[in-house]
Amino acid sequence: MWRSVAATTTTLLAIAGVAAAQEVPIPRTDGWELVMRCVICHSVEISVQQRFGPRGWSETLDRMIRYGAPIPPDDKAALMKYLLRHYRDPDARE
Amino acid sequence: MDRRRFMVLTGAALLMSKTDAVGQTPAPVPGKEKLIIRSSRPINLEAPLAELTSYHTPEGSFFVRNNMAEPTIDPAQWTLRVEGEVDQPLVLRLDELRAMPMVTLDALLECAGNGRAFHRPRASGIQWEYGAVGNQSWRGVRLADILARAKPKATARHVAFDGADKPPTPQAPDFIRSVPLWKAQEQHTLVALEMGGKSIPHLHGGPVRAIVPGFVGSASSKWLERIMVLPNEFDGFYMKSNYTAPRADNDKEIYSLQSLEVKSIIVGPADGAKLAPGKVTVWGWAWAGEGELTGIDVSGDGGQTWTPAAFTGPSGRYAWRKFEFPWDAKPGAHTLMARASDSFGRVQPATRAHNRLGYRWNVIHAVKVDVA
Repeated sequence: MWRSVAATTTTLLAIAGVAAAQEVPIPRTDGWELVMRCVICHSVEISVQQRFGPRGWSETLDRMIRYGAPIPPDDKAALMKYLLRHYRDPDARE
Repeated sequence: MDRRRFMVLTGAALLMSKTDAVGQTPAPVPGKEKLIIRSSRPINLEAPLAELTSYHTPEGSFFVRNNMAEPTIDPAQWTLRVEGEVDQPLVLRLDELRAMPMVTLDALLECAGNGRAFHRPRASGIQWEYGAVGNQSWRGVRLADILARAKPKATARHVAFDGADKPPTPQAPDFIRSVPLWKAQEQHTLVALEMGGKSIPHLHGGPVRAIVPGFVGSASSKWLERIMVLPNEFDGFYMKSNYTAPRADNDKEIYSLQSLEVKSIIVGPADGAKLAPGKVTVWGWAWAGEGELTGIDVSGDGGQTWTPAAFTGPSGRYAWRKFEFPWDAKPGAHTLMARASDSFGRVQPATRAHNRLGYRWNVIHAVKVDVA
């Protein structure tokens, strides 16, 4: 639902020639609050425009953990589940 | 980190980032209201195609690509250090840099990931479409002149740029890119102080940034404060991992990106335009990185037939060139295309092989129009 709202919003903004503001909705499903740990270092748009398969998200989270993101193993699994539910590329090779 | 400390940190982060808290709309960046916000922290902004109408892209329409948060710099305290494989390390203040001979040149900057959004499967990174590109006038000191003062040793082969921007945690890699010595000494490579006839705006790397025309935008480091002369390519994340692509002759090996691709974009008419029958000027911009443009073809039938178009306007070595084509618009639905070629024999392709980081997107731009 939110994704279609986002797509529609983006399309409407593009049609109107107004591209300055874009909504960044985060679906409030299980695990959404874990995204708060990503936004300690970068804004949420960075997270939600990525599209990976399981390997890509896992490697990205591992890299962020190496960089200091406070994501213990249990939470990594839950965050992976959330990200794959909403931000997965169906054609992803990784 | 324990859970309690994490909660405190998270709370602090949320308080500090009201504009990008989950579900909020990022606030427009002052002076950059026309641009698409790809991310608000760090700031990454893209120009809609309709904004790229001028040979010199105005500051308000010029894209912003930052890997890190923008640093605070006091120009009075700023210095540029030149060190490494040199006989005479330097520390230059702003007034000392300004006292050196300066040159002005037009050069295009394009983010290596411009067009990433069109890769399928999707590629990792900021989802740029067409507008992470701009063309401007830059004024500064030739890097070759600075290097000549520093006297590179016989072992010098590469030159790395380090800006004042730093990663958000000590464990994350600093943004440092290097270019080969031949490119650093090339007469168009600048330590730039002005953009469009004014001091370089903070968002664009002022007071001083590198301008490495022809190379991917990340070579033109912002907020420059340290130049390192090295025997080898800089060994860091942004050379060995990011800004790399598989080699054309062996896709098991990767290389650090250097030259931009040969590429063109159609600015007019816009995609989805409704046109009246008759003469329509198809126009846009073309560039070729280290190559030199040799031709631009336009198609009015989705690439079935191509006709040479004309380059018009200024022709700087590393600037973009305008192309124009008088198209006879007949009633119906049409797909317009532009295809540039260059002195390396490169021609814009119809497809681009997947690369996981989504670079090198220079696929022929197609614009659909209705004539009625």
